[in-house]
Amino acid sequence: MNFAQGQFSMLGAYILLVLFVGVGLPYWAAFLASIILMAGFGVLFAGAVYWPLRNRGQLTVIISTIGASILLPNAVLALYGPSPATVPTLFDNPGFMAGSVFVDTQYLSIIAFTILMVILQYLIFEKTMLGKKLQATSQDKEMAAMLGIPVAIMVLITFAYSAALGALAGVLVAPVLFVSVGMGATIALKAFAANIIGGFGSIPGAILGGIIIGLAETLGATYLSTPYKDAYGFIILLLVLLVRPQGLFGELIAEKA
Amino acid sequence: MSLLAIGGLHARYNAGEVLHGLDVTVEEGEIVALLGANGAGKTTTLRSISGLLDNITGKIEFEGKSILGQSPGAIVRAGISHIPEGRRVFPGLTVRENILLGASNRSRLSRATRDTKLEEMLTYFPDLRRLIDALGWTLSGGQLQMVAVARGLMARPRLLLLDEPSLGLAPLIVQQVFRIIADIRARGTTVLLVEQNAHMALSVADRAYVLETGRILVSGKPDVLWNDPQVRAAYLGGLAVVDT
Amino acid sequence: MSTMEPAIVAPEKLAVIPAARWWRGLPTAAAGLVVAVLVAAVAPGHGYTLNIIMQAATYAIGVAGLVVVLGYCGQISLAQAGFLGIGAYVQAILTVHAGVPFLIGTVAAVIVCGIFGLLLGFASLRLGGHYLAMVTISFQVILTLVMTNWIGLTGGPDGVSGIPRPAGLEDGHAYLGLCLVLLVGAVLFTWRLKLSRLGRAMQAVRDNEIAAGTCGIDVFQIKVVAFGISAMLGGLGGALFAGAFSYVSPDQFTFDESIVMLTMALLGGVQSPFGALLGTFTLVILPEWLRFLREAYLAIYGAAVILIMIFLPEGLWGWAAKRLYRRAPVVEGSLPPLPLLSQTAGLAGENALEVDGLAKHFGGLKALDGISFNVRRGSVHALIGPNGSGKTTFLNVISGLYRATSGAVRLANVPMGTLPPHQRTKRGMTRTYQNIRVFRGLTVLENVMIGAERPGNDVRDPAAVVSRALSALDFVGLRHDASLPVGSLPYGHQRYVEIARALAGSPDLLLLDEPAAGLNSTEKQELSELLRRLKGHGLTILVIEHDMKLIEAVADHITVLNFGRCIADGTPREVLSHPEVIAAYLGEPVPA
Repeated sequence: MNFAQGQFSMLGAYILLVLFVGVGLPYWAAFLASIILMAGFGVLFAGAVYWPLRNRGQLTVIISTIGASILLPNAVLALYGPSPATVPTLFDNPGFMAGSVFVDTQYLSIIAFTILMVILQYLIFEKTMLGKKLQATSQDKEMAAMLGIPVAIMVLITFAYSAALGALAGVLVAPVLFVSVGMGATIALKAFAANIIGGFGSIPGAILGGIIIGLAETLGATYLSTPYKDAYGFIILLLVLLVRPQGLFGELIAEKA
Repeated sequence: MSLLAIGGLHARYNAGEVLHGLDVTVEEGEIVALLGANGAGKTTTLRSISGLLDNITGKIEFEGKSILGQSPGAIVRAGISHIPEGRRVFPGLTVRENILLGASNRSRLSRATRDTKLEEMLTYFPDLRRLIDALGWTLSGGQLQMVAVARGLMARPRLLLLDEPSLGLAPLIVQQVFRIIADIRARGTTVLLVEQNAHMALSVADRAYVLETGRILVSGKPDVLWNDPQVRAAYLGGLAVVDT
Repeated sequence: MSTMEPAIVAPEKLAVIPAARWWRGLPTAAAGLVVAVLVAAVAPGHGYTLNIIMQAATYAIGVAGLVVVLGYCGQISLAQAGFLGIGAYVQAILTVHAGVPFLIGTVAAVIVCGIFGLLLGFASLRLGGHYLAMVTISFQVILTLVMTNWIGLTGGPDGVSGIPRPAGLEDGHAYLGLCLVLLVGAVLFTWRLKLSRLGRAMQAVRDNEIAAGTCGIDVFQIKVVAFGISAMLGGLGGALFAGAFSYVSPDQFTFDESIVMLTMALLGGVQSPFGALLGTFTLVILPEWLRFLREAYLAIYGAAVILIMIFLPEGLWGWAAKRLYRRAPVVEGSLPPLPLLSQTAGLAGENALEVDGLAKHFGGLKALDGISFNVRRGSVHALIGPNGSGKTTFLNVISGLYRATSGAVRLANVPMGTLPPHQRTKRGMTRTYQNIRVFRGLTVLENVMIGAERPGNDVRDPAAVVSRALSALDFVGLRHDASLPVGSLPYGHQRYVEIARALAGSPDLLLLDEPAAGLNSTEKQELSELLRRLKGHGLTILVIEHDMKLIEAVADHITVLNFGRCIADGTPREVLSHPEVIAAYLGEPVPA
């Protein structure tokens, strides 16, 4: 469980900012570079934060990733300063009218990319041997090693992939929120909440969880009370944890005696 | 030169020393069985060979070259496939995926080659054909055993290490599994078999070693061992020997 | 077993054993009070330095709370700053808006926090590890939102100001003195908690939840209590914090601050309130010296957490304590004999255990398929069978770790129904585990004391618990290792500690799960003798074992399982030469 996941999004957004605004790369180039660079960062992260502790127990790893989730935004804060920055949207045209509703192109891009990533992830995990090896490693690490699957590399790939995915979320969301050091935490907590609601290990669950949280926030803010918007998702999370901790689609793992 | 030569093997876990100097050889084309009661050290021996244990000393040579201390990946690439106790079929993957992953020790296999080998396995284990897309966790013990063996054979091993294949299986299925083991040898793969079920193991093995608390008690040909009261005592203690 | 009957060790001598000393810690606390008063007198009465010390002192109380819930009980709580905040706000609201005196406000703060802590603890019923961490984070985040947005109650982002100090203690020196004195009290409390029965139970839950349950500990209850206590300490710290700075606002008690407090606990050493002290004071004072790094200080916190986890997992105090550790003196003299029979069971019935048609299915797999047999009181009853025959499943169902699919289990004629493990232990069942479940963070003696503290056992006061535990250790021959950390013993001796732990509870029925597993032949010999001695005292034992020599030596009666069914039940002679049993083990076809 990586508490620093949200920070990958934040870093991705900042890299976009630096490359596009600072260095002056074309938007698409900065977009892609950010994702690729973050994949590399994921590997570094795995080596520095996860690998030394891989045999030490869940508590230690969790706490270590919490440490990373504090280090990263504050390192950026020290380098870049606290003022939020803006990045322009992916498309020059901010949106168009569909009937009486304003459709925002950035939101459309987010949806489009989400669909794309879901398809891509499905293809990788279900249709390629690499995906199968990754799944095998997560289901039974020792058995995977016994078959000749390079377990360490699988772990690095997993971290690189999740970092890249986090970065993608970051660069897509950056034009919508401000690019700030705090964006990571918000994204991360809500992403975890979505995962727990949907059930760990289930992608449709995670998507459903995200939708539920989004709905809870929007509906709650509209009909109940706006300042508490962020709370509604968490309240749903608490309810789910108390009533059905494995989430909607997940499986409880119990300790064997 | 023996295919596998183990000399003076000592192994220890945190708990203490578990193997106290084993000498085992396996010649090419044989089925050799390691027998003994639970806790005698049989599984530890296999895990020592396949690189899963760190704390071992002694000699382990495969085709004349030492494999002591190598990683599990290197050992499976060298031609030794270990089918572990409890099968350990990946529960979230299908039968096809499990079997295909057995070829992970060979890199850069073309899709066609892989599919050919899979087809070969399915003719070998026809019962798996209708289960090809079933997920691992839905399978019964006997089916899991077949998947595990097929997966192990995909690696085209020269030596197959089989750990307690009969564990938890009903007697009829056990017989089926042992027919398959005999067949594997007939097709040219050498087998080192660890079994608690002495009867079935001796019915198919060329030679056997009987282990007791980390040492070899006695070894030899099946018919000799079967009549040796030490074997019975190793499993059931002294009282079992009184009436035969 | 000692054959002589000289004077039994006098209680005063037992006082040498750390856990039994009632006055333990008071001298250090008295010294601490003196230091507190001195510091309060000498420190400046106002200004920057005073603020730093007050912040450190009040924070340290809260961090001591983390020591309890995370260090002792092993539960991740990322809401401790939230509890500090609740305490601070309760104090602020009551004193400023309702004119309540400071002392009452403080008490109210502690109580309110305690209630929230218990509520948070209830979440642990179904959740552990990172799920529980998520719950605490959610709680913290929601709390911050409420503090910021419930303007009517909390004053919103502007917070509450003008919080008064207690009458007569408005002076900087005096208030600081109050804070430090209460800090000493909190440290003393937390430290003695570790040595208490409750503290031992918490550590058992942390080290091995399953074994804690079968030692009679109500795991859920202990977790709830741990959260409650930790919250109350947070509340106390917060109430004092409010008085120290006369101003509270939401941004003082955010998730970031919870992380800071966690880092303080980890840096100092989460196992000890002294670690909390060390970590808190270091991390409050240190940034002041590193002013130029102000902007990056949180980044350094984050990096520090990672580095501490990798290189210094026990924290500074933990690392130092290890090097200064000295073995407590050994208690000489003979001990009262270990009462091996349960004093409270009433010895009802001829059978200690009756099993009737017990079945356990895992989905389609019938691990146990209708098992019936009885264990006669006072006998050593062995349960054997090939690998996979269901023996360990059987033991787990009997001890309540698995729920039976059907069938009945009666312990001394009392049906066990669906009782959880700790309730079964209360009624007289104790057990050991095949893969040894000792409490690694505790000493040998503490492990066995937990066994003696089995609810339903007949020991009352701490001295009697220690005495009973020592007797049990004496019985297995490990008395002189009593004050060693249990993990430092060789494997076979850890097994004996586990057995001593089970014996210290004077059980009605002792369940042994492959006690010879992993033992070398000398140790097996010793075990065999130990079991024979136990047999001589009339204890009822049900043992799973593979080692036939051991079984032959000690068993009065054997039941054989195969494929989840009983295939034989009788004396060793009958059973071990039974053709069906031989067939089962050797794999022969069953004779017609």
